[in-house]
Amino acid sequence: MKSLFYTFLSSILVLVSAVVLISSIIYLAPVDPARLTFGQRTDGGALERKQAELFLDKPLHIQMLYYLNDISPVGYGDGVRYKSKGIPYYKPFVAEYSSGVLFKIPYFRESFQSGRSVSALLIDAIPKTIILAITAMMIAIFFGVILGIIAALVKDSLLDQVILSVSVLGISVPSYVSAIILALVFGFLFRDYTGLNLQGSIFDINDIGDEVIVWKNLILPAIALGVRPLAIITQLMRSSLLDILTQDYMRTAKAKGLTFKKVVINHAVKNSLNPVFTAVTGWFASLLAGAFFVENVFNFKGVGGLTVNALINYDIPVLLGCVIFVCIVFIGINILVDYGYRIFDPKVRG
Amino acid sequence: MLDSNTEENPILEVENLKISFTSDGARHIAVNGLSYKLAKGETLGIVGESGSGKSVSSMALLKLVPTPPGIYESGQVKFDGQNQNLLDLNESEIRKYRGKEIAMIFQEPMTSLNPSHKCGRQVAEMLELHTDWDRHKIKLEVLNLFEKVQLPDPNRIYKSYPHQLSGGQLQRVMIAMAISCKPKILIADEPTTALDVTVQKVIIDLLIDLNRENGNSTIFITHDLGVINQIADMVLVMQKGEVMEYGPIDEVFNNPKHPYTKGLLACRPPLDRRYSRLPIVGDFVSMDESKHEAYVTSLIQSDDTYQSHLQDLDQNPIILEAKNIKKYYPSKTNFFGKPTEFVKAVDDVSFALRKGESIGLVGESGCGKSTLGRVLLCLDQATSGSAIFEGKDLFSMGKKKLRDLRKDFQIIFQDPYSSLNPRMTVGEAIMEPLTVHNLYRNRAERKEKVIDLLEKVGMEPDHFKRYPHQFSGGQRQRICIARSLGLNPKFILCDESVSALDVSVQAQVLNLLQDLKDEFDLSYIFISHDLSVIKFIADRVMVMQNGKIVERGDVESVINNPTQAYTQMLIDSIPR
Repeated sequence: MKSLFYTFLSSILVLVSAVVLISSIIYLAPVDPARLTFGQRTDGGALERKQAELFLDKPLHIQMLYYLNDISPVGYGDGVRYKSKGIPYYKPFVAEYSSGVLFKIPYFRESFQSGRSVSALLIDAIPKTIILAITAMMIAIFFGVILGIIAALVKDSLLDQVILSVSVLGISVPSYVSAIILALVFGFLFRDYTGLNLQGSIFDINDIGDEVIVWKNLILPAIALGVRPLAIITQLMRSSLLDILTQDYMRTAKAKGLTFKKVVINHAVKNSLNPVFTAVTGWFASLLAGAFFVENVFNFKGVGGLTVNALINYDIPVLLGCVIFVCIVFIGINILVDYGYRIFDPKVRG
Repeated sequence: MLDSNTEENPILEVENLKISFTSDGARHIAVNGLSYKLAKGETLGIVGESGSGKSVSSMALLKLVPTPPGIYESGQVKFDGQNQNLLDLNESEIRKYRGKEIAMIFQEPMTSLNPSHKCGRQVAEMLELHTDWDRHKIKLEVLNLFEKVQLPDPNRIYKSYPHQLSGGQLQRVMIAMAISCKPKILIADEPTTALDVTVQKVIIDLLIDLNRENGNSTIFITHDLGVINQIADMVLVMQKGEVMEYGPIDEVFNNPKHPYTKGLLACRPPLDRRYSRLPIVGDFVSMDESKHEAYVTSLIQSDDTYQSHLQDLDQNPIILEAKNIKKYYPSKTNFFGKPTEFVKAVDDVSFALRKGESIGLVGESGCGKSTLGRVLLCLDQATSGSAIFEGKDLFSMGKKKLRDLRKDFQIIFQDPYSSLNPRMTVGEAIMEPLTVHNLYRNRAERKEKVIDLLEKVGMEPDHFKRYPHQFSGGQRQRICIARSLGLNPKFILCDESVSALDVSVQAQVLNLLQDLKDEFDLSYIFISHDLSVIKFIADRVMVMQNGKIVERGDVESVINNPTQAYTQMLIDSIPR
């Protein structure tokens, strides 16, 4: 087990590299973000002022340093910009208008499109995506584990073959295809029976302008997102359980006089969950990639929808904000995997 | 041990048991017409090589042989005078016997316990199943059982996972589990084969004590007649599914009727005499009975020959010299990942190996003997020290040079099952090192060499194209030996190379190693936990304990006059 200090340091390094890499790709594109904020008609002076405000007149690496300085909790500067944007900061060592080390809440700048702060946009979108991702994963784990167990126990039978074939299909179909099919079939064709919407987010605005939670809008996106992990978990669970069933301790359990059901449930399932757990946590991260398309198809206004919109509109601060969020999620999950192992595998616990 | 009347009161009656297995449409018989009676309180030893059907016949008593591929062809198993044939019971009926009436202990305690359940819970599960006690009472009983099997600190063991305990401790947990419901019959299937000789002795003593205390009957399965001698009242010798000999222990040991039994008794390396070659079971079977004694006598090496051999060795040049080798593993690290405490696996070891000499390295598992071996072969980096091989220091040598030198020293591992690639034919496996070191001009010449090697280790040329799974453990170990011989090494490290083999096969492989040593002019370092094996193969011995060499000298004087209590304990634990 790596030390906590090492884990923390390498995580920061990964995060910074990701931001540098992504932002250089974005900034290298031949588009002037300052012009985008104005639309068609502006005079040259206003444009130049805007460019200066967004640091677009500076060389690329300076822009990058400024951005990193903004998003870092520990930065350098006089704090005037943060003050004008209402970002709380604390500058302990120097006088009010001179530059120095300052501590602050990470500042992600504002959307070019709407002018709203990126932090606010993210805070709005993140819970929706998290709810969607967790629901999808729970569906995938629940049904995947059960189907996997069934397939393993009736190995080589017709049912096993059917489960295997369907799971191959589930793995090969991309999430945006299954999303569109699900939306069309259950949100449009059979709408009268299912009562589900073709599109819609979990938090919606009702007719009188209040925000309401519409749980049913979660159903289709979660299923669409869960199909692939479900299929993968089914296959992993099946092969893992088959492997465990040949272990010596299965014989011991049988020799105790336990029923076959108890042998499987008490002794085989928990041990076979171990490799499945690893895969699931790995997939949880890539699941967010699928969420981008699924959210777009269902107009589900989470981080995925936000990112796709920002890409279309060339909204660089929003895009970078989303990228950083995804990076943090990936890194966080990878750390969790390391620690999560200890729950399922006492050997790692030491 | 009880000497009760088998005829009157058998707890178990097995009659004409016949079990076969199907594989790829073919049916082969694993157990053929096995019959015996087990009296109350009696211990029956079933002896045989792997594949003799001894385990299958005992698993069959509880219908634990999986069907398919197994088939119960015929036979009667009657328990405790009941008229019911256990083999006719269905799954839910036989379950009432499993664990409660007949309990089992298996060979590999490390893999026979569920790795993700705590030991206490695994034993408690047995009691939950077969009694209607409440949780508290069950827990007390489990702790009581742990005490009974002499586990230290039962409370800690209760909360421990299997990987936190040693093999001997795990086997005690298995025994506690097996005796928890006071079964009338305890089946111990090679319970000590995977353990060190020292642990083996303690486990066997424990089984004897428990047997006496609980009055249950025991079926003890093993490949080693030496072990049986300590525990059994009756012995049943099996070979290829058939009974070779069945009778009271004293009779079988003092007056074996079947040549197979005689061979089994003779092939275990003894401590009280020195063989130039070990007797082989096959020789006994093929030989006329009157010649047996002369055969054994002809193999004995006289003390004078041994002494002059030692003196000859002293004239030979030193081939490998280890100086102050240390290998430390970090056991604790601080916040920054820097090690603060160490486990001293090898602690300041020095010795010299002469050309043509074999040094035995003996000790219990965990004493650091394997680590020392790995360090010597540069498979692991030493913390400090040096190893001089023919005048060159291996530890300070460049990687490229070391790789070229590697063909001069080879290793033969313990487990022939996992040290051969299952997807490579035997021929390819032996040829690979030749190709890597670019020996011989072309493939055809290499193949010729491989076939030559196969013949040298007693295999057939047409084995070249076969895969490892088609061979038995002993044959696989021969293949591994052929593989390491291909490079014409000067020195071979044998790391417990015969520990996983049956005694009868062990004798053949040891003889082979002895023959090859003379033929190829090899030097060996032979790592083993079994001093009797060391006594046969080695000229000198080093006894290792906690990373240090505690005693060294020529084999005869160390075994006959040990100066350390630890060495004495190793000697005492060898079954005889």
